Amino acid sequence: MNIVVCVKQVPDTATERKLRSDDKTLDRDAADGVVNELDEYAVEEALRLKEAHGGEVTVLTMGPDKASETIRKALAMGADKAVHLVDDALHGSDALGTSYALAQTLKKIGFDLVVLGSESTDARTGVLAAMLAERLGVPQLTFANKVEVNGTSIAIQRVTDYGYDKVEAVLPAVVSVVEKINEPRYPSFKGIMAAKKKPVEKLGVADAEIDVAQVGLAGSWSEVADFAAAPPRAAGTVVKDEGDGGVKAADFLASKKFV
Amino acid sequence: MDFTLPESALAVQRGVADICSRYDLDYWQRCETDKRWPEEVWAELAKGGWLGLAVPEEYGGGGQGLLELAVATETLSASGSAGGSAFTYVLTPGFGAMTLARHGSRWQRERLLPGLATGEIETCFALTEPDAGSNALGISTSARRDGDEFVVNGQKIWITGVQRATWMLLVTRTVPASEARPRTHGMTVLLVNVPEAVASGRLSFRPIPKMGANTTPSNMVFIDDLRVPAANVVGEVDQGAAVLWDILNPERILLAASALGGAEVALRVAVRYAKEREVFGRPIGANQAIAFPLAQVKAKIELARLMLYKAAWLFDAGRPCGTEANIAKLTASQAAWEAADHAFQTHGGMAYSMEYPVARLLADARIGKVAPVTEELLLNYLATQVLGLPRSF
Repeated sequence: MNIVVCVKQVPDTATERKLRSDDKTLDRDAADGVVNELDEYAVEEALRLKEAHGGEVTVLTMGPDKASETIRKALAMGADKAVHLVDDALHGSDALGTSYALAQTLKKIGFDLVVLGSESTDARTGVLAAMLAERLGVPQLTFANKVEVNGTSIAIQRVTDYGYDKVEAVLPAVVSVVEKINEPRYPSFKGIMAAKKKPVEKLGVADAEIDVAQVGLAGSWSEVADFAAAPPRAAGTVVKDEGDGGVKAADFLASKKFV
Repeated sequence: MDFTLPESALAVQRGVADICSRYDLDYWQRCETDKRWPEEVWAELAKGGWLGLAVPEEYGGGGQGLLELAVATETLSASGSAGGSAFTYVLTPGFGAMTLARHGSRWQRERLLPGLATGEIETCFALTEPDAGSNALGISTSARRDGDEFVVNGQKIWITGVQRATWMLLVTRTVPASEARPRTHGMTVLLVNVPEAVASGRLSFRPIPKMGANTTPSNMVFIDDLRVPAANVVGEVDQGAAVLWDILNPERILLAASALGGAEVALRVAVRYAKEREVFGRPIGANQAIAFPLAQVKAKIELARLMLYKAAWLFDAGRPCGTEANIAKLTASQAAWEAADHAFQTHGGMAYSMEYPVARLLADARIGKVAPVTEELLLNYLATQVLGLPRSF
């Protein structure tokens, strides 16, 4: 099975994240880049599927040169090879543009199954899996906390507010995973050393036959009009317990429509 | 000249830090309070091949050297483990794997190294005695040849990790110290199977209540007519001193790495508090009385690290490293102590609360100034062996 895992480099959530004042895109130099956490679960799931069914795991990343660190991490976990889509023309692409660029690349490199995290910790749109599936014309199986492949069919448990749905499809398909699905492995020493020798193919927009009018800041359908720092948290409400603390707490929750 | 760490060491830094990032200061504090081995971290380090870094590849290890082990120790320590990291890396990867990789016989290597690489076999090291600490050559634990065996009698103290160890590297005298010429002659290192020795009733041990570093107990060990096969001699009979230096120098280097990491944690904790804590309307770190000592600690950490890496590099190259190992141990331990002491001062009275990590870091740092060798003995080595000054003893 030819599995492609899409991973994204995001700013470390533990550091202060900023947007650039000039083009209102993410300031990638202001924070350390790390692998989007949910994508680690995607890599782990891809590796488990490969271990169970054989095949190959390819990492696909779209991002600047710096994103190669993210690729190395996924390779160190055990992926076989990587494709790095890197081009200045892609800078500032929104979800629609990104899904187009990735879909073009996926068409070029081929796949039986695409696995990705259900959202990124920076933009958090959570729409990429659905967009990708649509652009590729294959089934989408999103928010999976369990994946089973049987021959050419795939079944997942799709996490919902009320439990889960069972969703089945025929490969090729796109799957997005949630963090409950597994426990990602740490790269081992041998894994990290071996990752340095694994092939990473760099592709530009021309290589992937990407129409530059549909990507980048100019090609994006959404636009960041303005941004501001979140206001400092206001002082909380102190409720003094004079024997009626429970009632006061319940009233407070009711006033906020929590109960 | 290139100060860049080799890729293997950078991989160690990244990989060990990755694992450690899920274990915070509170985790290590709980291990200390509960006197509990950090099983979770140990298992992850074992699984990733981080314990077996210095085991040759043919035995399932990473095929690296002391530099990589030192970087792993420092990284683990700096993540919050501090003193506890010493035991994780010194006992099994250091005492066990490094020693047998270099001095073990073929069967010893084949039997032990694969297990040492995966952490399934653990080791401890028994040298110090109630009457022989700094004067290690003066030990009195005796091993008398009897056919294909040695019969061992004696007492050891401050032997850490006996409880978990499958094998003990036991340093004995096959020629009494009083008769040995030169004084280094007549030392023999034996591999003792600990569970078997305990089961035979010929070896027993008792933990010593201690001030810190409680993730692993340190013990009194009593040996009474213990029979050890002659095939368990590490290196040559009577020539154990050669093995001993190759145990003690890595021990100094790994403990220097642990101390250095401890210094880094203490400094990090102090700097964070100095930035956050406001008194008289400004962060206390704005006061030079707080800031300058922390800046000084930073300088000492960087200097000690240079010597640490140099000493490890020399050892791996098979070159003499005694002077560098001793300087690394001396300066890293001093940096750790000063870092912990200034972290204490920075925290003011809050440092005395066990809810802050400072008290643990202070206790961990203090032991580094006396163990496994006192600062005075390290200075004495530099004075007599390096500067050629007359001996006082």
